Amino acid sequence: MPIEPWACDMKINPAYYFLAPAVVGLTVFKLIPISVAIVGSFYGTSLMGESVFRGIDNYRSILSDPDLLSSLGITLLFNLIANPLQVVLSLAVALLVFRPGPLIGLFRSVLFLPVTLSLVLTALIWNLLFDPFLGPVNAILEAVGIGRQGFFKDETQALGSMVWLATWRGVGYWMLFMLAGLYAIPESLHEAARIDGASWWQRFCHVTLPLMRRPIAFVLVAATAINMLFFAPVYIITAGGPNGATDFVMFRIYQTAFNYIDLGRALAMSTIMLLVVLIVALVELRLLRSED
Amino acid sequence: MQARRKPGTASFFRYALLSLLAMVMIAPIGWIAISSLRPPEEIFLHSPQLSWRTFVPEKIIWSNYEMLLASDFPQAVLNTAFVAFVTVVLGILICSAAGFAFAVFDFPFKNALFVVVIITFIMPFESIVVPLYIMVRGLNWNDTYFALIMPEVASGFIIFLFRQFFVKVSRELFEAARVDGASWWRIYWDVALPLSWPTVVAGALMMFIHQWDAFFWPLVAATSQDLTMVQVAIARYQQFEQADFGRLFAAMTVASLLAILPFMALQRYYIRTIIDSGFK
Repeated sequence: MPIEPWACDMKINPAYYFLAPAVVGLTVFKLIPISVAIVGSFYGTSLMGESVFRGIDNYRSILSDPDLLSSLGITLLFNLIANPLQVVLSLAVALLVFRPGPLIGLFRSVLFLPVTLSLVLTALIWNLLFDPFLGPVNAILEAVGIGRQGFFKDETQALGSMVWLATWRGVGYWMLFMLAGLYAIPESLHEAARIDGASWWQRFCHVTLPLMRRPIAFVLVAATAINMLFFAPVYIITAGGPNGATDFVMFRIYQTAFNYIDLGRALAMSTIMLLVVLIVALVELRLLRSED
Repeated sequence: MQARRKPGTASFFRYALLSLLAMVMIAPIGWIAISSLRPPEEIFLHSPQLSWRTFVPEKIIWSNYEMLLASDFPQAVLNTAFVAFVTVVLGILICSAAGFAFAVFDFPFKNALFVVVIITFIMPFESIVVPLYIMVRGLNWNDTYFALIMPEVASGFIIFLFRQFFVKVSRELFEAARVDGASWWRIYWDVALPLSWPTVVAGALMMFIHQWDAFFWPLVAATSQDLTMVQVAIARYQQFEQADFGRLFAAMTVASLLAILPFMALQRYYIRTIIDSGFK
């Protein structure tokens, strides 16, 4: 039913009254800051503390800064491992709790449990559990004969430990979106495939997977948006170390803005990261679309 | 009918896998909670060497919690509860109204505006922290409750969830009320909002947990002692040179429980709302 006949009895479209507070909120706290970020990234602070126009100098110096480029490399590598891992695991876990059964509801809640923990708590918990000397994880690894590991304190393991931490907390959340997708697949399709003699694996590849493309794409893009700007655990556990192994871009931006007080440079870095997120998300969407 | 894999084996593997996963998810939180009941000097006494004592305290004490109560932690909990409560009330009102408008009315640039809403929730908060901080400082809002509450009130994701709910409500319902002479405000307040209570519950839960978990923004926007939020307080406990582990573990347990319990009580609505909102 079209709405116009009953919307015309007011001079001003009533939609605007309902929208106004939200539009003001989103404009002031999201759209203006993002515009400020883009404009501010072309400015810097002079020695006298005044704001001076620098043009693309911030960008030029960032993009030729080997430290920043290595940060970007670390962040991209982290995403390259963590995002596909989270997609695959959340789909697998969703398949495990999709069909009803005894205690399945309880398992679903338990798998979701880490999501309700803040990233700060997650970071603190795993920092304690993974402690090379005092952590119980190392006690278990030693008892089963694998031997003690450095985890966050080991240059070669720190990034992998961050992947584990992010995945531990993320999988339960993405599982919900995968479940939403699984529920949307008509049961009759599975039934038909079953009658045709398709095995579980065949049904998964030819019925489930093609129809799960949208939730998979959503999870991949949303996980990218979150993991590209991974910050709190780095701030709490490693402060970028050991030896720069977890020097994520967002941590560098935080340091540039709040320790070195170079806002123009921090804003330029933020803008670059936003662009990188957008580009990666677009590439992911394109890849998932052209798969058929 | 087709011969299928024996349900017994498949079911066994399914539950074995689920039990293993459940262990991985629960054990870390459980270890923190159990350790919070140990005397501080015992917390790391049994963790380096695996024994049953690693998981079972020698004796259970509550003094860590007594110390926590006497510290600045209760103030941080109250601050966060206040910030979360105000955010939830304002946020649900504003976002449900906007979701209602997107679902029920036609107006110019409706689709373009909705795309903007979607963009604001895809855009990660971290990417605007610095400009937001500059703005808030410009408004002289830094170190006020305003700074902690206002940026979180209008949420693109919650607007989206309400829009998805109201779109599915039959328009005849609103029309009937309209014919009876009800104003749009009345229809929203008396018909639409009560009808959407599962989304209200889910949205309130999301906004509550979001504020309860907030770290980066409070860290930069509210640095004074009186305004400390829970996560910032806990991170600070950990950074002291001689970390007081008894207090740290107790604080971590309280902060986890205060996020887990409301979720456990209300998770049905949360899961339903996400599943119904059309992520398919």
